[in-house]
Amino acid sequence: MSFGRPPSISTGFQVTPPDRGSFPLDHYGECKDQMMAYVTCLRNNSNSSTPCRHLNKAYLECRMNKGLMERDEWKNLGLSNVEKEAKPAKD
Amino acid sequence: MTRNEVYAARNRSLLMYTSAVIVLAVGVTYAAVPLYRMFCAATGFAGTPMVGQGRFEAERLVPVEGARRIKVHFNADTSDQLPWKFTPQQQYVTVLPGETSLAFYKAKNKSDKDIIGIATYNVTPDRIAPYFAKVECFCFEEQKLLAGEEVDMPLLFFIDKDILDDPSCCKIDDVVLSYTFFRARRNTQGNLEPDAPEEVVQNSLGFGEYEHAPKAEDRKAGGSSSP
Repeated sequence: MSFGRPPSISTGFQVTPPDRGSFPLDHYGECKDQMMAYVTCLRNNSNSSTPCRHLNKAYLECRMNKGLMERDEWKNLGLSNVEKEAKPAKD
Repeated sequence: MTRNEVYAARNRSLLMYTSAVIVLAVGVTYAAVPLYRMFCAATGFAGTPMVGQGRFEAERLVPVEGARRIKVHFNADTSDQLPWKFTPQQQYVTVLPGETSLAFYKAKNKSDKDIIGIATYNVTPDRIAPYFAKVECFCFEEQKLLAGEEVDMPLLFFIDKDILDDPSCCKIDDVVLSYTFFRARRNTQGNLEPDAPEEVVQNSLGFGEYEHAPKAEDRKAGGSSSP
């Protein structure tokens, strides 16, 4: 059905769980480096999310590798057009 | 063949055809319910929620280049019963509609016991709620932190690009996303729920201004408790 309906009892006014459920907790800090890189990039780019998407992808890749997230294609996560390596823009 | 035999043969074939039609009709009525369910689940017809992986088609997750950026502020609260320190790692993120963005919260269990917490979330202003979609987060399911443990909690979300077509949402520049962590307790059905009074939980979900009908347990118990 249409995604952008105004809130009603069945949508919007009900609190819905996230699509893929909950991220498992990273108890051992296995992806902490990618997380710190992403947060630092956000700070350097005035908290704009677009320049840091490659680090977004790197963090999710780390989670998938360590078994903290189900592996899925990038296009289902909206990251298909993001290159893995750092872009030449300031990082 | 005699006429009777012809008639008998015709009657027999008529009987065969008729009983075949009856059996087929009965079979179709049995199969209709699961077939309809499968049809609805595949197409989302009649409002069937399509949950699970891939509820968001890949086309929805493409950033709209050149659109106005929306600033998403992050807020974190904890209930008084929960000795956790819960803070966002970034105060805000400016995002484009359709762009999946990552954000982090940090939670530390300051006590000396393992505690299970459960988080609720709320997004304001209310009219952005249908467009604000969380792909994956840490809310609604129990999160157990060992004594003294500190952990990073990520959140993957996006704002649907249909927001650009909605006239009532075109002036929105700031969105506040707030998470509240409660201690978890088991209710009578055996499910984990936030360990706080109902008003506090509903307030954290953003429904504090709304009147609520009493829960079924309270209605059965005499209906004297307030919503």
